[in-house]
Amino acid sequence: MGMLIQIAARNLVKARLRTLFLGSALTLVTALLILLLALSQGVTDTMIRSATTLASGHVNVAGWFKAKVGDSAPLVTQREKIRKIVEENTPGLDFVVDRGRGWGRVISDTSSLNAGLTGIDIDTEARLTETLQLAEESEYVEGGSAELHGKLEDMARPDGMLLFAAQAKRLEVRVGDVVTVTVELMSGARNTAEFTVVAIAKDLGMMSNWSVFVNSAGIRKLYALSDDVTGALEIHLEDHTKATEVMKHLTGVFEENGYEVMDHDPQAFFMKFETVQGEDWTGQKLDLTIWRDEVSYMSWLLLLIDAGAFLLMVILSLIIAVGITNSMMMSVRERTSEIGTLRAIGMSRSRVLLMFLTESLLLGLGSTLLGGLLGMGLAYGLNAAAIPVTSTAVRLILMSDTLHLVVTPGQLVLATLAFSIVASLAAFLPAFRASRLQPVKAIQHAS
Amino acid sequence: MSSKIFGAAVALALLTPDAAWALDQKKVDAIVKELDDRQRNSGDYKALCYIEQKERGKNDLVYQGVFYRRDEDDKLMILFLKPKSEAGKGYLRLDKNMFMYDPTVGKWERRTERERIMGTDSRRQDFDESRLAEEFDAKFVKDDKLGKFAVHHLELKAKKGVDVAYPVLHMWIDAATGNMLKRQDFALSGRLMRTTYYPKWKKVFSESKGSEVYYPEQIRIFDEVEKGNKTTVVITSVDLKSLDANIFTKAWLESKSR
Repeated sequence: MGMLIQIAARNLVKARLRTLFLGSALTLVTALLILLLALSQGVTDTMIRSATTLASGHVNVAGWFKAKVGDSAPLVTQREKIRKIVEENTPGLDFVVDRGRGWGRVISDTSSLNAGLTGIDIDTEARLTETLQLAEESEYVEGGSAELHGKLEDMARPDGMLLFAAQAKRLEVRVGDVVTVTVELMSGARNTAEFTVVAIAKDLGMMSNWSVFVNSAGIRKLYALSDDVTGALEIHLEDHTKATEVMKHLTGVFEENGYEVMDHDPQAFFMKFETVQGEDWTGQKLDLTIWRDEVSYMSWLLLLIDAGAFLLMVILSLIIAVGITNSMMMSVRERTSEIGTLRAIGMSRSRVLLMFLTESLLLGLGSTLLGGLLGMGLAYGLNAAAIPVTSTAVRLILMSDTLHLVVTPGQLVLATLAFSIVASLAAFLPAFRASRLQPVKAIQHAS
Repeated sequence: MSSKIFGAAVALALLTPDAAWALDQKKVDAIVKELDDRQRNSGDYKALCYIEQKERGKNDLVYQGVFYRRDEDDKLMILFLKPKSEAGKGYLRLDKNMFMYDPTVGKWERRTERERIMGTDSRRQDFDESRLAEEFDAKFVKDDKLGKFAVHHLELKAKKGVDVAYPVLHMWIDAATGNMLKRQDFALSGRLMRTTYYPKWKKVFSESKGSEVYYPEQIRIFDEVEKGNKTTVVITSVDLKSLDANIFTKAWLESKSR
């Protein structure tokens, strides 16, 4: 085998122009693929970060309460008892926060918007305060300064509200302004409350367009709820990849403890109102979800990016395959007499086949490895440059204000292996032809 | 001394119109019941309606639709005819369940009874049978003037266990005609949510009822929270002839958009 590698390497060096051309092409397409995969991973990571900061834990213990069959209120009663069960039975638990949930209309003096209301107790929201950054005034006021106004700690005020920059811009409000929130109660009656904007945070991707934080006591008052009622217990795990496993485990635990648990429905809670309304039961049922369920309405985005990456990979593979096949055919033609001589002195057909395949594999491995490293370097460079995304549409798709790319070892292995295999397979036909050459005819071909 | 106090009390009573003109509870209840009764038809009801929605920062919208009522069964159907993009959409109320149909997706969705019709400030109750006496307890506030009209100002609070969008209403009833001229809806928090004016009432003779049925020809709704938003509902071509029973079915509404 060592001999074959040696011959393959020598042949590659001998045909250095062709090797350089093909190798460069392979390197570039691998780097491109790595960048695309890094973008997809970046969006996924941002989505997890946004989801688990704004709307969800890795696992959620939420629920529905129906006083009458036609009701559907996203509430969990006995929150202390349920929290205790969660804390005692969640493997790999990092921390738990409980948050109120609602949906209402936020109205300023000049504008309004519909938003999901999340009731928080800021003292228990270490993760949120770490993640959110106050927005500069210029991000929500035309011609505003670079000053930061407000404090996240002021969310401890019962009438405290935290908006995101795009929302503040749309509502034309600043820190200290009062807005009215109108909601529909479980009974169907309308209720209102006044909230004071105590902080305006930088946007956190698409989801921050419709998420508004209010003080937990404020949301309870708005919905006329008692202290032992909440919207959801959001469970954060040390390892988020275990979310599905933990959700299944907790479902069993709650059922053993006599709670009724709804069948798993992988959708965001606000998409379930009608389904629950149409169900023929009353009382409390728990509804366990994972973070991916709560952002399921955005899964098309990941699908789109992944489909794009896959399509690009197929196209690039085809180009590489054609290039390699063509190049190897030329190589076989040029080296026909050499093949004839090798066959004449006793090299078997399979060894000839292997010799050409090894040549192609070597070229593939070397180039894709180089491409992988180049792609990784470019991704880190782009990340370090924190290139701002100015287009709103692109910002919505990327869910970030700056270009965010994440390279994982898996991506490097995938790109390197995939293109190396493609390169080897593409060389199979010319290699096979070379191995089928009759030694005498091959030698005659030279003369 | 006591005669002076008595004199002052009499003078005060004479100067305070509320006390002098106060309606007793029986009369208040009778006024509210009369409001319901005069709008109720024992048979069927069909009318053409126009809903104009003005919302700040948005283009004005005008919807045209037909609504059908069968009060004895609590059935209501609203079918939208215009604009073209909304044609075929509709609402159906059956057994206290409200459904909305969208022909573009061919799907029925359950909605609450408090649904804002087509996202405007009008609600189901603006088109449906009046059930004030059934849903609210009324009390007299004062006799008042609304422009040139002498009116009774009443306050209505939702009865326990009754689902209504606004738990407190204030109404100004024309003392001369018994028609409602103005209504204010309040949220649970006490915040004024919307003010509605009924500038024109009309009546049409109902053979099934044997008397006249009243309807507001125009309803002007002002959003008191989102100032500047207003909805005008115009009701015309009221027809009290009996309707085909299959109008109040999902199939009928679906057939209208085929």
